[in-house]
Amino acid sequence: MPRTRPYLLTAVAALTLVACSPQSSPEAAPAETTSATFAPVTVDNCGTEVEVTAPPTKVVTIKSTATEMLLALGLQDAMIGTAFADGPVPEQYEAASAQIPVVSEKVPGQEALLGLAPDFVYAGWESNFSADGAGDRAVLHDLGITTYVSPAACKEAGYMPDPLTFDEVADEIREVAAIFGVPERAEELVAEQQATLAAVQQPADETTALWYSSGTDSPYVGAGIGAPQMIMDAAGLTNIFADVHDSWTSTGWEQVVAADPDVIVLVDAAWNTAEKKIGLLESNPATSQLTAVQEKRYLVVPFAAGEAGVRNADAVASLSDQLAELG
Amino acid sequence: MDLTLDGVGTRLGGRWVVDGIDATPPAGHLTGLLGPNGAGKTTLLRLVAGLLPPEKGAVLIDDAPVHELPRRSRARRVALLEQESTSTVPLTVHEVVSLGRIPYRSLWGTDPDATAVDRALVSAQAGHLADRPWSSLSGGERQRVQIARALAQEPELLLLDEPTNHLDVSAQLSLLAFVRDLGTTTVAALHDLNLAAAFCEHVLVLADGHLAAAGHPREVLTPELLRRVYGVEADILQHPRTGRPVIAFHEPTRDA
Amino acid sequence: MRARTPLPLLVLAGLAALVVTVLVAVTIGPADLGVAEVARSIAGHLRLPVDGVPRLHDAIVWDLRLPRVLTAAAVGAGLALAGAVMQSLTRNPLADPYLLGLSSGASLGAVAVLVVGVSLLLPVAAFAGALLALVATLALARSGSTLSPGRTVLAGLAVSQMAAAATSFVIFWSSTGDSYREILNWLLGSLAGATWTSVAIAGVAVVVVGTVLVLSATRLDAFAFGDTSAAALGIDVDRTRWTLMTVVALLTGAMVAVSGAIGFVGLILPHAVSSLTGPAHRRLLPVAALSGGVFLIWADTLARTVFDPRELPVGIVTALIGVPVFAFLLRRGKGSAWT
Repeated sequence: MPRTRPYLLTAVAALTLVACSPQSSPEAAPAETTSATFAPVTVDNCGTEVEVTAPPTKVVTIKSTATEMLLALGLQDAMIGTAFADGPVPEQYEAASAQIPVVSEKVPGQEALLGLAPDFVYAGWESNFSADGAGDRAVLHDLGITTYVSPAACKEAGYMPDPLTFDEVADEIREVAAIFGVPERAEELVAEQQATLAAVQQPADETTALWYSSGTDSPYVGAGIGAPQMIMDAAGLTNIFADVHDSWTSTGWEQVVAADPDVIVLVDAAWNTAEKKIGLLESNPATSQLTAVQEKRYLVVPFAAGEAGVRNADAVASLSDQLAELG
Repeated sequence: MDLTLDGVGTRLGGRWVVDGIDATPPAGHLTGLLGPNGAGKTTLLRLVAGLLPPEKGAVLIDDAPVHELPRRSRARRVALLEQESTSTVPLTVHEVVSLGRIPYRSLWGTDPDATAVDRALVSAQAGHLADRPWSSLSGGERQRVQIARALAQEPELLLLDEPTNHLDVSAQLSLLAFVRDLGTTTVAALHDLNLAAAFCEHVLVLADGHLAAAGHPREVLTPELLRRVYGVEADILQHPRTGRPVIAFHEPTRDA
Repeated sequence: MRARTPLPLLVLAGLAALVVTVLVAVTIGPADLGVAEVARSIAGHLRLPVDGVPRLHDAIVWDLRLPRVLTAAAVGAGLALAGAVMQSLTRNPLADPYLLGLSSGASLGAVAVLVVGVSLLLPVAAFAGALLALVATLALARSGSTLSPGRTVLAGLAVSQMAAAATSFVIFWSSTGDSYREILNWLLGSLAGATWTSVAIAGVAVVVVGTVLVLSATRLDAFAFGDTSAAALGIDVDRTRWTLMTVVALLTGAMVAVSGAIGFVGLILPHAVSSLTGPAHRRLLPVAALSGGVFLIWADTLARTVFDPRELPVGIVTALIGVPVFAFLLRRGKGSAWT
């Protein structure tokens, strides 16, 4: 708490009142709030110019990070479909998301997407917008559909965050909020996250960590400039692959065994659970020798919280708590 | 060794391409297998080689059906030279001739008669080619090397399918003279009637899978047979030096 | 065969090269271990009286590097054997398990059982996949009774594309998230997952099948001028072809089960080696197997060290090395026989 800046505290206090209003009168709320504060927005999104002249009202989200961003901003009434969920939404969004139809378990095809007649598609990965995915961005634009990619997921040089920071995450929250004409909700959310981060206790000693995302033969791990690095940094963990200039990287078990991290962060996804990863680590004769495996020093992070988005701050807090429990 | 064709026949694609051939090519001599294209020469050679089971009759070597002989022992008694011998393997001549020793090799690939390949090369007058790559040889040299390969099998019966194809005249003559003088029972499918007349002790004339005539060329190669089997007119002359028949073909008549 | 190096000398040289390669490769890796430490780790496991090494260093040497290097040796040897035998049986210098679709077929079989979740059956399924792909390729390629090299390669290409597409489909359909990396490992080949079990599967397959093949060397020689010529030399052509093809499919299945579909080893090694040994299989097969092992160990050592801490699928390395070598062999004039 001592590190929280005073002006943000004020903002939180002021905006809490505003944010509460949709709950009391849900049917009229979006129109009221958006018309009040919307101003046309033009952003350079991963190299594609995105122009929004009115707040989108028929939104499809692809991937959990995009879905949860809108839910966190209280924009569920503008959402007509979600796709490619990496896992269940956090408890606090469950009620809001229950009414939104799930379009597809994976990336929806272009026709499936067009059939919903959305005015705005928000994707967590750049690759979701391809001819064999939801459709090419230029093509969708010509059809009158605005496309938007999580800026933290841009891959082009100059757009890819290098490294990703919580400021960039906050920028995305503000940018999305501006597009929907709810800037005040962004400030509230950002302030909440700052407060969460400020409360995190750093471990006393240097604690090295492996961010184990997926892979059996060749582990796919968190590297030096992406969300895993940002989250571990904030939780006071030293990433053993911090010097690899990428968000994630494929590596070999030899490098992991040689580094012998103090803890292992396991990414928990529906298709590749933390439990399964523990099984792999314990059955592989080499990794079973790791100190963290022998002492069961595991930390778990949900998949969707491990990509840049609104859940990163909570992930930091959770890692920190889990670490404290391990002792 | 006695070779007997006892009413042998087989179908390919439902048609009797060889149909009930009875013949006894003379032992130790060169027999010519004649007939127009499609008469069944190659199929008959495969039947005689035991590579194709006959659907009727049999080919007998010393009274034993050839297709019932164990493969290895058959390969030691019968050698076949195909019309086309092509290989994608970069073999030397010596290696090609050693293939003829396969029926004699042990499980570990050793040849009980280490000099057999060299003897075959020398006897086929191909010793000087031994270290040459097979692919670098001329057509005549290749046939000679294939003969050496066949001789390395030490066969009692040698079967040649159009051995003079693609050879120039001198290579044709020397090849057939060589085969005739081997003293091995040999059956050669031949295209060129004059070559057959000059070198063969015996000829078998096939027409449409049937045996049209068999015997010494002087008795068999008559204007009447040539008209019947090949549909050509010819006079039969006598070679001024050897006394063998020489066939002088007429020009085709316009309405023929 | 004249003036060719004697076979025992070639085999001894090959064995020596393989042993040296294994010993050197096991000391190379991203983790900074000394040669003495590596030696002590191995010696310790062979129950020799030496000082111990730190637990994790021992795990790197004994559980990661050594099984991986030995698997590479066995897989390389197996692929080279499979390539040499297929080239002879199909009379096609371009034949190898990868080009004729066997590897892709085996990958498909492996991936299919992995999806179902019965990984114990993986080598069996890989074998079945390889065999099916082989039958499909030969059935497509056969016109009448002849098997032309060109048609065989085209048929192999079709089958291999089909199997690769089916593999990708199975993975696409059954998985979420970032499992496309697993697809790459199956389609491009990787030795990153090698364990002592892999060593056992690939090693036993190579030794058993290799013995069968070397004992069939004479029969393979007989195919040099084609089926009729082989039959006239006393070979049971159909039985030999199907037996040996099945054996090769078995070998390919075992290789793919532990490493995915690694290309070019089977294509290149037999050609590279035959200039030294000649085409006689009794000489060619053992030397090709030993060189294949040495080659794949080095290719994999490159794959796991060049971009440290990242890894390349070893199939990319074999293709990067294999294609120029193949081009060189083609241009050296051997092409004349490869119509």
